[in-house]
Amino acid sequence: MAKQYKVVHCKVNGKEIEQVVDVRSSLTDMLRNDLHLTSVKKGCEVGECGACTVIINGEGFNSCIYLAVWAEGKEIWTLEGITGPNGELSDIQQAFVDEGAIQCGFCTPGFIMTSWEIVNSGREYTDDELRKALSGHLCRCTGYENIFRAVKKTMLRRLGKDKEAEMVNSQGITEYPEPMPFK
Amino acid sequence: MANKLLMAKTPEEAAGAKTLTAVFLAGGTEVNRLGSDIAETADTLISLKKCAGLSGISEDTGYTEIGSMCTFQDLVEADKTPGWLKEAALFMASRTKRNMATIGGNIAAARDDSYLIPALSAAAAVIELMGSDGKTKRTGIREYTDGGFDGMLITKVIVPSNIKLVSKRYSNTAQSHAVLTMSASLTEDGIHMHGAVKNAGLLHFCDLEKRFSEEPSVSEQEIIDMVRTCTGLETADDMFGSDAYKRYLIAVTAYDLNRQLRGKEA
Repeated sequence: MAKQYKVVHCKVNGKEIEQVVDVRSSLTDMLRNDLHLTSVKKGCEVGECGACTVIINGEGFNSCIYLAVWAEGKEIWTLEGITGPNGELSDIQQAFVDEGAIQCGFCTPGFIMTSWEIVNSGREYTDDELRKALSGHLCRCTGYENIFRAVKKTMLRRLGKDKEAEMVNSQGITEYPEPMPFK
Repeated sequence: MANKLLMAKTPEEAAGAKTLTAVFLAGGTEVNRLGSDIAETADTLISLKKCAGLSGISEDTGYTEIGSMCTFQDLVEADKTPGWLKEAALFMASRTKRNMATIGGNIAAARDDSYLIPALSAAAAVIELMGSDGKTKRTGIREYTDGGFDGMLITKVIVPSNIKLVSKRYSNTAQSHAVLTMSASLTEDGIHMHGAVKNAGLLHFCDLEKRFSEEPSVSEQEIIDMVRTCTGLETADDMFGSDAYKRYLIAVTAYDLNRQLRGKEA
């Protein structure tokens, strides 16, 4: 039986694209092989590691188990799309650098995309909610604490809570100063 | 090898296109996974993503009707979803995966590490199926998982809204395949216990139900001994654990769930 191809129209990182794909192709394949967006990593290919996470219409998805043809009419963002026009890092990327939230770097694009969704949501997550929101990603270099701290600090800064962001300790816990004793 | 894709627009179109060599694609797909059976055996993929009328959660007197294409995240976020079903949906730790995985897909896959089937079975959920002629019929989820409904499209899942049901799931990490997922409910008919045991399948623990109904405060040791020597249980030694470990886990979990349902600390 001959292979079947289909034309997919969607918006990737703000640009309208039209791409012919094999109907069995995953979105990961289309983004990496056809559009050369190699920040989208191929890890487990069964939706467990989160390395292929992209944002589709504002929500995080595992692109490895998402068929490219399902992207018809959708708006997709990858890591390449969140940097500035001259390659400047976004605040969440810079936070990953500042907090040492990177070791081998393979899980990083996926983590950043989920983090980007979190910080763009405009709401303040509790520590527990943040950990749960990030739990779709596996980091084999065991850098979870640093990643958590980077996301939490960026979230607080986006909410205008710069002082609180500075109070986040190495374990990611916000340490409020001791109240002044009454005299 | 799957070469053809049909983007069905209606459930009737999807159900009508189903043949022995066609497969339905619900939320996500493992068609591209190395060693995937689907890629080898199916020639047509029927995508349900754009199918109208398979989503939405509505409440009726005492029951909640859930469209088969509702994602796990839809279940978690909807006010109408019963708490016990939200709990089972949250066993899928990854939110990105919850954004894709659907209730219908999880039932149809009927995996031995299913997230939802133990809870839905313990709740005696009913599913609505559509045949290739477009006609629908309803059946209990327990009958569905026993087989005989191949090729039918799941369109709806109907669950009781108010039922006392508790669940537990064990896996090495939140992302790993579970060695055991077990649920128990307590109704006027007694206790109902169902589970998914890795490499043993979807199980109905009838003997345990009977024993807990006879003596609600039966000792933990008796349950452990009972499951250890049970000949009807076909658990095997594998990378998920030994036969003895799986039996022990089933026994202590059954004991805990029974206590939880009867309002005692596990």
